[in-house]
Amino acid sequence: MITVRHLSKTYHNPDGTSLTVLKDINCEIGPGEVISIIGPSGTGKSTFLRALNLLDAPTGGEILFNGENILAKGYPVHKLRQKMGMVFQNFNLFDHMTVLENIQYAPVKILGKSKAEAREEALSLLRKVGLAEKADVYPDSLSGGQKQRVAIARCLAMNPEVILFDEPTSALDPTMVGEVLSVMRQLARDGMTMLIVTHEMKFARDVSTRIFFMYDGYIHEDGTPKQLFENPKRSATKAFTQRIRREVFEVTGDDFDFQGMYTAMARFCIKNDIAQKRDKVESLCELMINDLMAGYRPMTVRINYKEITNEASLDFMVEKLEKSPLNDQSKLRSLCSDVVEEATTRGFRVKLVL
Amino acid sequence: MKKAISFIFGVLLLSVSCLSSCSSDKDKLAHLHDEQGLAGLRVATSTGSCYDIELSKRDDIQLLLFNSDADQLQALLSGQADVLVQDETVFNSEIRKEYGIQIAFKGEQAFPTALAFRKDEPDLVQAMNAVLATMKEDGTLKQLKDFWLTEEYLDNRLFRHIPVETTGDNPLRVACVVNLAPISFVVGKEWYGLEVDLARALSSYLHRPLEFKLYDMSGIMALKNGLADLLIGGMFVTPERQMQFLFAEPYHNFHPAYYIRNPEVKATSTAGFWEKIGKSLRRNLVEENRWQYITGGLLETLKITFFSILLGSVLGMGVCALSRSRRKWMRGVAGFYSWFMSSIPILVLLLILFYVVFVGSGLSPATVAIIAFSLDFAAGAGEIYSTSLSAIPHGQTEAGLALGFTRLQTFFHIVLPQALKRGLPLFQGQCISLLKGTSIVGYIAIQDLTRAGDLIRSRTFDPFVPLLIVTLIYFLLAWLIILLLKLVTPKKQVL
Repeated sequence: MITVRHLSKTYHNPDGTSLTVLKDINCEIGPGEVISIIGPSGTGKSTFLRALNLLDAPTGGEILFNGENILAKGYPVHKLRQKMGMVFQNFNLFDHMTVLENIQYAPVKILGKSKAEAREEALSLLRKVGLAEKADVYPDSLSGGQKQRVAIARCLAMNPEVILFDEPTSALDPTMVGEVLSVMRQLARDGMTMLIVTHEMKFARDVSTRIFFMYDGYIHEDGTPKQLFENPKRSATKAFTQRIRREVFEVTGDDFDFQGMYTAMARFCIKNDIAQKRDKVESLCELMINDLMAGYRPMTVRINYKEITNEASLDFMVEKLEKSPLNDQSKLRSLCSDVVEEATTRGFRVKLVL
Repeated sequence: MKKAISFIFGVLLLSVSCLSSCSSDKDKLAHLHDEQGLAGLRVATSTGSCYDIELSKRDDIQLLLFNSDADQLQALLSGQADVLVQDETVFNSEIRKEYGIQIAFKGEQAFPTALAFRKDEPDLVQAMNAVLATMKEDGTLKQLKDFWLTEEYLDNRLFRHIPVETTGDNPLRVACVVNLAPISFVVGKEWYGLEVDLARALSSYLHRPLEFKLYDMSGIMALKNGLADLLIGGMFVTPERQMQFLFAEPYHNFHPAYYIRNPEVKATSTAGFWEKIGKSLRRNLVEENRWQYITGGLLETLKITFFSILLGSVLGMGVCALSRSRRKWMRGVAGFYSWFMSSIPILVLLLILFYVVFVGSGLSPATVAIIAFSLDFAAGAGEIYSTSLSAIPHGQTEAGLALGFTRLQTFFHIVLPQALKRGLPLFQGQCISLLKGTSIVGYIAIQDLTRAGDLIRSRTFDPFVPLLIVTLIYFLLAWLIILLLKLVTPKKQVL
């Protein structure tokens, strides 16, 4: 369906310097594939996606869409884009139109559908993304998640063969990521061909048929989610997919802002899709800080999440301590799955696995 | 805030009361019978007139300069001035009675007055002199002067003595510097007055018809630039002017008159308020069909405003396109244009276009005005378009493109409607300031709404009512513009 050969993109700055974002991209995308494009920031993921529908025209290489070279002179780019939809990070809904108008506008103006027909289709798409009741409001009054769902419906209204998702959840409040991902999940199940630039590792692993790991302007590794997440061939891939996300708090004394810490931890849980563990995290922290390790100050508290194994844990560390501060683990056992006590080079650490 | 306002009002009141209290130099005024007596008084006269030049040599009087006779009269009546110096013929007995003023004395100095011609047309001067010689010989000139300069004409002021040539395709273009009885004044579309009759005599002598245009003092420029063939309106012959023009033989020596308020007559009549209003409206609108000035002026103002907005809006698109161009030099051109247009006073631009750039092009003054205002409007409109378009996030364009619209479709279907919504209030303001700006076109002899008010004022000497009427009409027009713009802007362009 899409064949990319030796694709490159270099930005030339007015001051004479230049920056090569895409160096040599090669890939083959077949119908029905759901491909997640992951990788560290600044490695050209979005640029690659935007090169495919020529919003950022590439500077070298070729792209074939259904066998046709879309970089050939005189190729009708707008026709290509009608078949290759795009969902943006910032939604880009048309602010001067109602939700329904946003969706039916392009089909009426471009495909020449009748208003009645376009309206029926738009309503059915809105039902599909769960927003039929918002048909006549303006985008202003929608939440971020709702806006993105409307944007997906708008894209679907053109009946595209493939949809490009450019970080569709990055601009969203963590609580709204779920609703957008579930719509996308549904699309994938329906067999839509999708290319998704995303930072949602769990989603990428669960939904994708293939994953591109982009690094330094290349597709560094390309394979099934299982391969890339569990058995990456290259070290950069491994470092990225198996990284641990963490947040660290220093509990200095009783004047410490505990409420601030709990809020930050809750946000961390939501962001990493372990929102259900929020309450447990807070109870465990309270128990440890105010009860079991009440006398130990200063203390370092750390929350960890390893995306690949979906494993979350809490660390409580006290410097220059040689033996375990815990006398009784029974209170903890009911709340967490494992308690690991170990001496480190700097002191002693209690790890609670959630 | 309230305090500040009452403070300002207080200061205003104080200065007004100070003005009126200072004005009562009653003794001096009662014994005013020569130029010496003017010492310490406030004297009103016309800007650039001979009286201005003479009196400004004295440092013991306070000289107040005005552009129109109506304004001077108002200054005298309101007590801002103690004495008013003007030609002896300006305020006739009827007007003097009406406004409660009198002539304190007439000046000794005589000012020879003549019709002025261009330096490159000595033949016309010779013709005029021949006409004057004949008129002197057969007594017509004395007859004319008796008719216009004594107050006989009051009863029969539109009497026509001199025949005029009405056919021919090489008209004598007459620039009038004043609309003032009995020298040269307009009633309806016809010109009357002593110098008008002299011009008529010249016309029938040369067999060329006449074409009058009212220029104010800018008529001097019109004559110099070849937009007119002769200048009338009580031009005193001075050495400075003789360097610029050729004068015909003086037809009369005028003396200045020193007008003061009549101490006996308080200018308050016994008439009631409504009666006064009715009388004033009648004088300013009904007599001599003066309302026609207003309707004619309204049409001119509307014409200039409408076409300038139309042309300027289109030109503005060009300016906007340049300023958003990828090429640096194009942006430079747009930037320079905007800077130039916002720096040059529109009046200066208008005068330069009319008296320098388009001289000899045959373009009518209204056309030149439309060009000047379009150029000015284009700069403002271009900037409005440009800022409105910049305010629309680039994401809107990208979304349009990504859906499969072409660049043009994206612009017209998606970006433009949003930009219009943002730009409309600014555009409205621009249109209204254009409308108000057109009030200066009188400088190039267009009788627009403002000039219509001036014309009426210069005949009735009523300072207030014509201005009020004109103001009300401008308000109405501004409101009309807002209404029209709302009508032509698509309410909901979407599907």
